[in-house]
Amino acid sequence: MARWRRIIAKLRGLVANKRAEEDLAREVASHLALLADDFERRGMPPEEARRAARHAYGGVEQAKQAHRDERSLQWIEQTMQDLRYGLRTLSKSPGFTITAVLTLALGIGACTAIFSLVNAVLIRSLPYGDAGRLVYLYTPNPQFNVPVEVFGPAYADYYDLKKESTSFQDMTAFDQSVFSLTTPGSAERVSTARVDGDFFSTFQASPQLGRAIAPSDDQVGHEKVAVISHALWQSMFASSADILHRSLLLDGKTYQIIGVMPQGFEYPHFSDLPYGSAQYKTTQIWIPLALTPHQMDDRENARGNAVARLKVGVSIAQAQAEMSTLMVRLDQLHDARVRGWAAQVENFVDRTVGHVRALLWLLLGAVCIVLSIACGNAANLLLARAASRMRELGVRVALGAGRSRIIRQLLTESLLIGLVAGGVGICLAYVFLRVLPHLNPGNIPRLNEASLDTRVLFFTVAVSVLTSVITGILPAWAVSRINLTDFLATGSSRSVAGGHTRVQSTLIVVESALVVVLLAGAGLFIRSYINVVSVDTGFSQSTVAMNIELDARYSQPQRVEFFRNLFARVEVLPGVQKVGGISNLPLSNSEDLREFEVDGYPNKKGQLAESRWATPQYFPAMGIPLAAGRSFTQEDKSNRSIAIVNESFANKYFTNRNPIGGRVSREDDHTQWSTVVGVIGDVRDSALEKAPEPQIYNLDGDFEGGYIAVRSTLPAKSLAATIRSALRSIDPNLAVGDIQTMGDLESEARAQRRFQTSLLSVFAGIALFLSLVGLYGLMAYSVSRRTREVGIRMALGAQRTDVMLLVLKKASLLLGLGLVSGLVASWFATRAIQAFLFGVGRHDPITNLSVCALLAVSGLMAAIIPARRSASIDPMQALRTE
Amino acid sequence: MPIQILQGTLDLMILRTLSTMGPQHAYGIASRLQQVSEDALNLNQGTIYPALVRIEQHGWTRGSWGKTENNREAKYYTITRAGLKALNEETERWRQMAGVVERLLAEEQ
Repeated sequence: MARWRRIIAKLRGLVANKRAEEDLAREVASHLALLADDFERRGMPPEEARRAARHAYGGVEQAKQAHRDERSLQWIEQTMQDLRYGLRTLSKSPGFTITAVLTLALGIGACTAIFSLVNAVLIRSLPYGDAGRLVYLYTPNPQFNVPVEVFGPAYADYYDLKKESTSFQDMTAFDQSVFSLTTPGSAERVSTARVDGDFFSTFQASPQLGRAIAPSDDQVGHEKVAVISHALWQSMFASSADILHRSLLLDGKTYQIIGVMPQGFEYPHFSDLPYGSAQYKTTQIWIPLALTPHQMDDRENARGNAVARLKVGVSIAQAQAEMSTLMVRLDQLHDARVRGWAAQVENFVDRTVGHVRALLWLLLGAVCIVLSIACGNAANLLLARAASRMRELGVRVALGAGRSRIIRQLLTESLLIGLVAGGVGICLAYVFLRVLPHLNPGNIPRLNEASLDTRVLFFTVAVSVLTSVITGILPAWAVSRINLTDFLATGSSRSVAGGHTRVQSTLIVVESALVVVLLAGAGLFIRSYINVVSVDTGFSQSTVAMNIELDARYSQPQRVEFFRNLFARVEVLPGVQKVGGISNLPLSNSEDLREFEVDGYPNKKGQLAESRWATPQYFPAMGIPLAAGRSFTQEDKSNRSIAIVNESFANKYFTNRNPIGGRVSREDDHTQWSTVVGVIGDVRDSALEKAPEPQIYNLDGDFEGGYIAVRSTLPAKSLAATIRSALRSIDPNLAVGDIQTMGDLESEARAQRRFQTSLLSVFAGIALFLSLVGLYGLMAYSVSRRTREVGIRMALGAQRTDVMLLVLKKASLLLGLGLVSGLVASWFATRAIQAFLFGVGRHDPITNLSVCALLAVSGLMAAIIPARRSASIDPMQALRTE
Repeated sequence: MPIQILQGTLDLMILRTLSTMGPQHAYGIASRLQQVSEDALNLNQGTIYPALVRIEQHGWTRGSWGKTENNREAKYYTITRAGLKALNEETERWRQMAGVVERLLAEEQ
């Protein structure tokens, strides 16, 4: 207690130092007076009494100093002195200070910005209780060559697994779909999750208002209840307090609102599930799954998603072993034609963020390189400054400052620079976070939640301090190495400059090497991006597409009638050329795979192709060219015995024979054949970067819903508006999602690549800029240091061009060394980005050559200014200086 | 030969002085110490300052400016309640310590 009081008193002493000093002087004076009075009383004359008092008192200054040392925290006192002194000297050379601060601020700001992303996406825990124990359950079938996550457990399997397994504390099944949400006067499409009664308890998420969906709601007849997201509560219900008395009209049915989830819970996100709908990034409504007994017994359709929470102490491997054993038995209950269903348990967090982990660490690595370059520059600036401050430092040493005190002083200055730079860096990061939503590629979960929270700010402070120490230690060490008194004796600063420039040159070489690595990385990313942009998608970019699904108000014949009517209305719009319908649009992140057999081909089990249902006008509407045979026509009506395949299919399954007239099994009935009447061009369907897969197109004579493609000469925007008003006139309560051009979809498909490419390029650009500034600075510095030398050379007959070449030669030497070591380093470093490249090797010579050319040209340009200045030195004046 | 002050005992002596004599200024405390020790303490009067500031910062004394009988201004130190408690503890500790040392020395002989 007393100790704390003392520390507080000491800290207070720092603030009230002036008063304490006055107090002390007063007390000492009074003490001396009292002593002198005493001596006088003993009969001494006043003068002598005062002397005797001083003698009895001892050293006044020593007593005061002892008082001071005791009174305050000495190191803080000295630090305050250093800080005051540092601030004064820094503010005396604003040019240096601003340059150093801005340099470091760029590095620290970039680091902070990317760290805030890493923090939001990878570090901050998911709002699902102990998310580390959550797992996804899949029932993959090795026969089918598709990603593991495509097959969630069929409901019958799911319920058996849930009943028999012992590894899990909770298990939930859910499904994602899009519903029309009708409000008075409008209708919109909202992404909805249909969840069982254990969904919220498995995720350990409770509503902020009301209650969650309970097992008692998850039954046919009780399922008309809904939990809504915080965002929907705000946007649609204006955060109304009586929300629990309101209801929703979903696909024409009324659901009672029973709860509102807190902000941050919007699971499942589009990026969480395979074939999630890309238009709907988050879930806004949860309703009960309410399976019928018939659905619960379904073992053949693997359409659900299952998430489970491991019991405490159970590992994923243990759960996997149990699931595998259970599935061996369950597999025997499956249709004998398709067996081989296995189980796979996967870490939930890895699934959620695993696909972006590498990218984020890569970006963090890139900004660390930027920061290193900034540190190098700042260190060089400090070194140059230390050299010009030799006289001042020498004087301080001569006056008794210890070496450690000098180092401390210099470190304090660099710390000041670092902290101010940290502050500016935080501002830069803030600006970045404001821009971030516009860059968000949409498939990085929780990217928009990136913010400057305490962890990020702590990181920034730590980075600032670290960079300060790193940049400050080199100059401080260099200064302390020099014998300052010797230096004072010679009275010249030139003698010490040589040692410094060697360190500075090394820093520049290292910086250039780092820049080469970053530029090579950015170059490869740009090349990959260009490759993706120039991919031939196989369809027209100007085609306008939309997804229209009719809700339960429509009967089957009414649906067919609706679309006949719609197609007819749109077809006659001025400027519209073709209108077609398709079940799965390219790049819409939807998929339909089917098993098939080809007549006269050694068919294998589990042979899959992408299955599509198209109206006759679909191909011309999308601009997909016919390669052979004929397209579907109106006259085909709804002929199920004809099919069109794409070129990939034809090449694979009709190798060396004419596909036209060939036969493939019918989708609706595997025992029947349909005849191939045409071969259509390949399109990039699931992703721009994936080679086209074999596709079978069936004729859809009675289009009931799906994607509609419109080809027209109208601008996309006005066409979209026209189509919307046409739809509204047919059914005002129908919700329609985005109406986009195929070009927009392509652009969305490239979003992540654009994101990573632009970030890396910006960082490489900053790095290049910083290193050029560094090179320029060093050259300018050494020219100003060598004024006298240049003067002598010129007096002895050197030409101006010789002098210029001298500087340029030095610059090229540094650049050359940097380039060579950078190329060697990037030869190895590009391994880290191999997985991000598309259509370009990691040792791509064009990229490396461009990097070399860019650095050489820009480096020499940075050096030419100081070189010209050195050439313009007037020898007479140069010799007269100093 | 004048003796050196044992490390840490000055605080105790000052507290004791203040508790017996009431509020005192630095000069009064120093004079008292010299008087009690019969000038055996080698004490420059300035050397008690660190101890005074230490004790005050512990909250064991409170300082205030006042006038001496000769109408000189001086800073008077008053012992606080916490100071009295500390004095008791310190006295106890000192007695124990002194006892231990004394017993050790007695054994030696």
